[in-house]
Amino acid sequence: MTMSTAAAPARPRRAMDSLTQRYLVLVGLIVIASVGFGIANENFYSLANIGILLRSIAVLFLVSMGMTFIMLTGGIDLSVGSNVAFAGGVGVIALTATDSAALGFVAAILAGMAIGAINGVFIGRLRLSAFMVTLATFALARGLALVIYDADSINVSNAAFLWLGGQSWGSLPVVIPFVALVFVALSVLLYRAPFGRDVYAAGSNFNTAFVLGRMPQRTLVWVYVLSGALAGLSAIITVGRVSSGQPWTGLYLEFDAITAVILGGTSLFGGRGRLLGTILGVLLYGIIINGLVLTGTNPYLQSLIKGLILLGVVLLDTLVQRRKAQ
Amino acid sequence: MPDLSRVMRERNIIFVTLALCLVFYLISPRFLSLDNMSAISRQIVPIGLIALGQFFVVVSGNIDLSMGMGSVLFAIVLGVFFGLTGGVALGIVAVIVCSLALGFFNGVLVAKLGLPAFIVTLSMLFSAQGLSGLIIPRGQQIFLMGDFFRFIGAETFLGLYWSFLFLLALFALAWVVYNHTSWGAAVIAVGNSEENARLAGVNVDRVKIGVFMVSGLCSGFAGIMLSSRMGFVQPGLDGNGLLLDGIAAIIIGGTLILGGRGTIGGAFWGLLFIGIINNALNLLNVEDVWHQVFKGAVILAALGANWLLWQSRQVEAH
Repeated sequence: MTMSTAAAPARPRRAMDSLTQRYLVLVGLIVIASVGFGIANENFYSLANIGILLRSIAVLFLVSMGMTFIMLTGGIDLSVGSNVAFAGGVGVIALTATDSAALGFVAAILAGMAIGAINGVFIGRLRLSAFMVTLATFALARGLALVIYDADSINVSNAAFLWLGGQSWGSLPVVIPFVALVFVALSVLLYRAPFGRDVYAAGSNFNTAFVLGRMPQRTLVWVYVLSGALAGLSAIITVGRVSSGQPWTGLYLEFDAITAVILGGTSLFGGRGRLLGTILGVLLYGIIINGLVLTGTNPYLQSLIKGLILLGVVLLDTLVQRRKAQ
Repeated sequence: MPDLSRVMRERNIIFVTLALCLVFYLISPRFLSLDNMSAISRQIVPIGLIALGQFFVVVSGNIDLSMGMGSVLFAIVLGVFFGLTGGVALGIVAVIVCSLALGFFNGVLVAKLGLPAFIVTLSMLFSAQGLSGLIIPRGQQIFLMGDFFRFIGAETFLGLYWSFLFLLALFALAWVVYNHTSWGAAVIAVGNSEENARLAGVNVDRVKIGVFMVSGLCSGFAGIMLSSRMGFVQPGLDGNGLLLDGIAAIIIGGTLILGGRGTIGGAFWGLLFIGIINNALNLLNVEDVWHQVFKGAVILAALGANWLLWQSRQVEAH
């Protein structure tokens, strides 16, 4: 990993050190949060409960990894939550129409990639601002999901389709090793493949990357398609978890993903950050959110807390960076 | 020839809007009835206020995602003060103070700390949503009754709703401010290039804080108008729909989303366009589930058109 990070352009050694420091802080916070919730709730440490926790944030892991790629290029994707609902809808419809789980999987992932491609073309090729374009697809994909489902949920009983999201080996949900697998694959893509260097290059300096012939426009299209594909996978897991497809699933998921990625040390301005940080960010954020749910916190208080966490992290980052710059 | 292209741009959206009216009239003659027209004029008031505030923010090169949920929060603030005092004066003062404070807070974080506007206002969106549900528990409502709400929500003058006249007056004021004051010029300058604006002696930070205070105040007004029209407030109001409609209106109106360009007239026609679409979807009995699809598609199409404009701007610059 050291070798590949050295090969990534425009990443000074110092930045890597500060990222490592951050990961240590995150690990510390995760331990503290687990101990805290463990004291508050004696079931917290049971194996089953850890499985439940990890399963409930599996989707957040996937979506956040896609968001990491996007934010490394300096973009943002506000449409992933809606996309999860839309892709799930397409997958469930394909499944019920053909009764083939494989076709359902493919349909869901292709649907997610389609929304991603719209984002990618508007943002990468037309160079429109990411939050505007993805705000439009945020509405579009949710609307399409509502149309597909006719604003109602559809039950799914196909065992093969539900396997990924619903099955457990003992107290280990199948989805956990799957997420780990995706993490390894994406790490290889980001750190070992030319595409990963293009991602860092596009986010560090778009114009320089362009002049160097790295075709950042194309890179941008592909990161959004990748995020869409991960949204499609998330859709399959979501459907599997609850044995039904629901039009309002994934509401504000993008917000959780953005917060977790920023928490994991990925810069809002692109070019700096790593997947490991995102994993730690999702873990910490997931433990907090899950703790709030388990303790029965008022949902509106939860959204206030989420808003303040995001603002707090961004503020803290900026202030720390300012102090370093001085 | 910036003036010519400006007129052309507005003419396009005027043409499209009028053509749309004709189409809807042919489908359903009721569309152009006086009743329906005045219904549209009342429906677009909160969207128009959001669009107006967002216009200045976008021209300055930023975005305010907190406007929709902000107006829900301010509607609830008004409702709570109404419930406590039975009057509206104190509530309106509170809304104005709170909305200016929210805008100031957004503006300071964006201008002084250099944080991206969409992150700051996204977190404010959630905070506002959370706060509104904490002030009034879930599932509860506060009913707003009295002369003031009837006046704002239902009284007319020469056949036009007072709320619509208020909106028109604000648009006129905004037109004067945008086109004929140094502040308006400063907003455009900041949107075009912060660096150049700074070199030209513009206090960039102050302009940014200013545009966010304007958008904050506009969402406060939108909250007042929304609650008066509905006659009640509750935390479940669709703030995000309001936000999307407002943004759609100004993009359709030819406001350059990269900042530095746009016209108040264009924004107004964009608003009429959105109002007409919303109304027609209801009038033609289009199922609710399709509404969001239309919104998203319309914004995407407008973004594409916006891109074409941007291309022509590149050509002009050469």
